[in-house]
Amino acid sequence: MELYKRYVDVILCQKRNGDILPLYICWENGKKYKIDKVLSSERRASQVGGCGMRYACMIQGKRRNLFLEKNKWFIESYQP
Amino acid sequence: MGRDRIIFHLDINHCYAQIEEMKYPALRDVPMAVGGHEETRHGIILAKNDLAKKYGIKTGESLREAREKCEDLLIIPPSYDDYIYYTGEVKKIYRRYSDHVESFGLDEAWIDYTDSAKLFGDPENIVRKIQTEVKREIGLDVSAGLSWNKIFAKLGSDRKKPDGPAVITRDNYQETVWPLPASDLLYVGPATTRKLLARGIHTIGELAVYPQKYLKKAMGAAGVMISVFANGGDTSPVAESFVHPPVKSVGNSMTMVHDVDNPEDLRAVYYVLCEAVASRLRDHGMEGNVISISLRSSGLEWYGCEKTIERRTDVSETILETAMELVMRLYDFEKPLRAVGVSVSGLRPFSPVHQLSLFADEEALEKSRCTDLAMDTIRERFGYYAVQRACTAVDPELTSFNVKEEHTVHPVGYFQGRKMTVD
Repeated sequence: MELYKRYVDVILCQKRNGDILPLYICWENGKKYKIDKVLSSERRASQVGGCGMRYACMIQGKRRNLFLEKNKWFIESYQP
Repeated sequence: MGRDRIIFHLDINHCYAQIEEMKYPALRDVPMAVGGHEETRHGIILAKNDLAKKYGIKTGESLREAREKCEDLLIIPPSYDDYIYYTGEVKKIYRRYSDHVESFGLDEAWIDYTDSAKLFGDPENIVRKIQTEVKREIGLDVSAGLSWNKIFAKLGSDRKKPDGPAVITRDNYQETVWPLPASDLLYVGPATTRKLLARGIHTIGELAVYPQKYLKKAMGAAGVMISVFANGGDTSPVAESFVHPPVKSVGNSMTMVHDVDNPEDLRAVYYVLCEAVASRLRDHGMEGNVISISLRSSGLEWYGCEKTIERRTDVSETILETAMELVMRLYDFEKPLRAVGVSVSGLRPFSPVHQLSLFADEEALEKSRCTDLAMDTIRERFGYYAVQRACTAVDPELTSFNVKEEHTVHPVGYFQGRKMTVD
């Protein structure tokens, strides 16, 4: 299935030690998705273009890659 | 002779085009080039992707020439901020393995791995590891060369082996490097190539065995230098990261949006250039007393001259007045001007104490400097275009450019102010 680059709003927790923990992804239609777990965070290039810190997230039982590219967040989305 | 050094040279292949492809992967499927804006006449190809290369499109040719070779060529304007950012990220990866990482332009760097070998082990493996990490983390391909000197390491990376470094050793350099054309060597440009050809020197090998004294006679110190390069005798060190050579001069030049045929318009352009130069001088905490200008007419002839002023300065007004004085002395505006430049040298650290002059208007000078400082502060907080001189509003098209931030991506010199050293 083809993946698309979608910039999203993110609600996050900036931790005392400087780490960033994304908590929710906010879709354009106002819908909020809770990030149940962050499996890993590493610097990676994305297959939809761009690179940055990749947070592999579990959202509603599915794995999704969320990227912090410079100062913007995008998700590798199955929806265009 | 002591232990040989281990030098890597890493090169981000067709850098600007590759970064655009990384940002927008769909660009990999079409012939694409990064080129300057045609309407502002910086219209040349800066980098192209592999598909565009198949059409014979070359870096440096005009956008028009490129379009003649390939009608469907997609030309993307450069986004320098991104190139500076992503190449910086790549160099952060290099620095994981050595504190001696010397940039050569945005896309190339040398790494001195000699002392790191004790920590990280086999150099060839580490080069492969760096290549993999750059690909995985930034999404870019880098080619690599490995040798005991910087010159051969660079020749190695130019061979663009897809996987792993081109290794040039004392045992194999005569087979690998010497058959290459002499023009592949750093500092052998078209003029030097012609001089070498006139002496029957085609390859690096022929250059290496040619008696140095004849080269010296024909080309002076430069002849000795390229002969040393060809023999692998270059021992110039890889600079430590974040150690910058002292600044010797600060200058800016630009090609104007349209040709300029009168001193008034030129003055407005020079105002912007001198503001940028003065501002960069202040960033470096320097002041200088030699002002030089360069002019290029629409017929592409070059003119240049310089003047030493009495007191060192970092004030745009003073630089401008001197530059305009030189222009009026040098040029009659018979032909319109296409490109202009100004630079300040004779630098030393800024001193707040000056011998006052009996004849100069000290108060006006102080006012000009305060204006400059105020403009710096405003621009730092609110962006470059937040404040402009009124004189630049006459022809905004001609003068709306931010030299300081948009035009300071320059090729750099190999020696960066150091002296050449040889075995």
